Amino acid sequence: MMTVFDVMLAATILWTAWTALTAPDRTAAIAAFLVFGLFVGLSWVRLGAPDVAMAEAAIGSGLTGALLLRASRGMTPPAPTRVTAPHRAAAVITAAGVAGVLAWAVLVLPEAAVVYDPLVDANIGDSGVSNPVTAVLLNFRAWDTLLELVVLLAALLLVAALRPIRAARMADLGPLYPPFLRIMAPLSIFLSAHLLWLGTSDPGGAFQAGAVLCGGLLALFFGGTLKTDGPDVMPLWALAVMGVVVFVGAGLLAEALTGTLLEYPDGADKAWILTIESALTLSIGATLLLLFSGLRQGGARP
Amino acid sequence: MPDLIYHGVGAGLVGMALYRAATCADLLTRILALNVLAVGIAAVLVAAAYRGSDVPPDAVPHAFVLTGIVVLVAVTAALLALAERLERDGDAGRDNADE
Amino acid sequence: MTLLELFGYACLCGGAAFLLLAALGLWRFSDLYARLHALTKADTAGVALVALGAGCLDGRLVAIIPLGLTAILVAVSGATTGHLIASAALGEDEGEDENEEAAQP
Repeated sequence: MMTVFDVMLAATILWTAWTALTAPDRTAAIAAFLVFGLFVGLSWVRLGAPDVAMAEAAIGSGLTGALLLRASRGMTPPAPTRVTAPHRAAAVITAAGVAGVLAWAVLVLPEAAVVYDPLVDANIGDSGVSNPVTAVLLNFRAWDTLLELVVLLAALLLVAALRPIRAARMADLGPLYPPFLRIMAPLSIFLSAHLLWLGTSDPGGAFQAGAVLCGGLLALFFGGTLKTDGPDVMPLWALAVMGVVVFVGAGLLAEALTGTLLEYPDGADKAWILTIESALTLSIGATLLLLFSGLRQGGARP
Repeated sequence: MPDLIYHGVGAGLVGMALYRAATCADLLTRILALNVLAVGIAAVLVAAAYRGSDVPPDAVPHAFVLTGIVVLVAVTAALLALAERLERDGDAGRDNADE
Repeated sequence: MTLLELFGYACLCGGAAFLLLAALGLWRFSDLYARLHALTKADTAGVALVALGAGCLDGRLVAIIPLGLTAILVAVSGATTGHLIASAALGEDEGEDENEEAAQP
């Protein structure tokens, strides 16, 4: 019975992806991409990955769709590309070849390719949290998460260097928006803190909480309350940089205490993980907001 | 059984994105194709982590995919800023080069 | 099957019917305002009924809290977004009418 549902979901995913890639109207393509991201998240819930599904729905589909819509407003409408027949044939052969090899490689995967499950199970008692994804992200592979934050910061620096000089004109959003803000902004902070705390034992964590916080900040930004040009942007910049600083500082402090980089002292793992995750949540929320809104060229001079 | 279906979905997404990126010159469509490609690979990873309906799935590929999603949004934002700037200043640059 | 479970399944079916009708309206209606009318029913009635049904099937009272919060959030954001889209479209239509009137000699 669930196989029928899976097949229908798979067909829907492929169809919305094709619409996203080939629709002539840009807005329709981006809307199809949004829906595609949500359906992929639903398929991951079917596969037992609710953390990843939450992150994909919020960041991978929602924020990316918003970024694409914002960029498509400033770009010319797409002109149809004339592609010669040999070019098209070569593209079809390459694409089909790569997809076929990928599908075949997965099918012939040896059954004994189970390496990480017993390792995670054996060590999760010492990790301080009971959600295995949080344990892997913040304890076993904390180095990867640190580098990921640095990548976020580098992208933010690039966006800050490239944004145009004029500040975006915010349209007046009508009389229904301030009551909506009064409900949404406090709720988003509360939900983000709840997801952060929940991430230690249930699906959740710093990235999902940061995405919810970014949603609340975006709602404030659209209403004109939160401005990102001029000196008001300094606290947001400070929050964005704080994540990397706190993580690196925690790693070095851990090395001073136990001798190995990012090895938390025994027994205090949960406290360390929660501190780093709190800094991560605030930093990710601020970074994603600044990535979307852009900054005025020339820094904080009014 | 569900993981086989979603493996196929991931491979199909990779193929579609590669084909579209190779045949369309529009920058925004190529960025969309890059996103679909990354999500396809993520789908293959998540499907590979599935261990059955009663057994908890493998957590390490899930962490990889989470990291990958965040890196993807950062790269997309940077690419979109570059594309916008190219569109705005590209005509001026081309005019200067022709002179 | 207890009465609570029966009520839960009935709510789920009702919610799914609302969602299906909203999708049908989005597909078949020709006007933006009519489509918004159909979509806002999905956000408010559809999600609320599905959440109520899921809460009844779960059985515990504490499960109502996250489900109810979800339904409230979706309803609030859906209503606000519908209003924003409609007022933006209305502004465009009024601008077009003014241009038509100004263009007439």
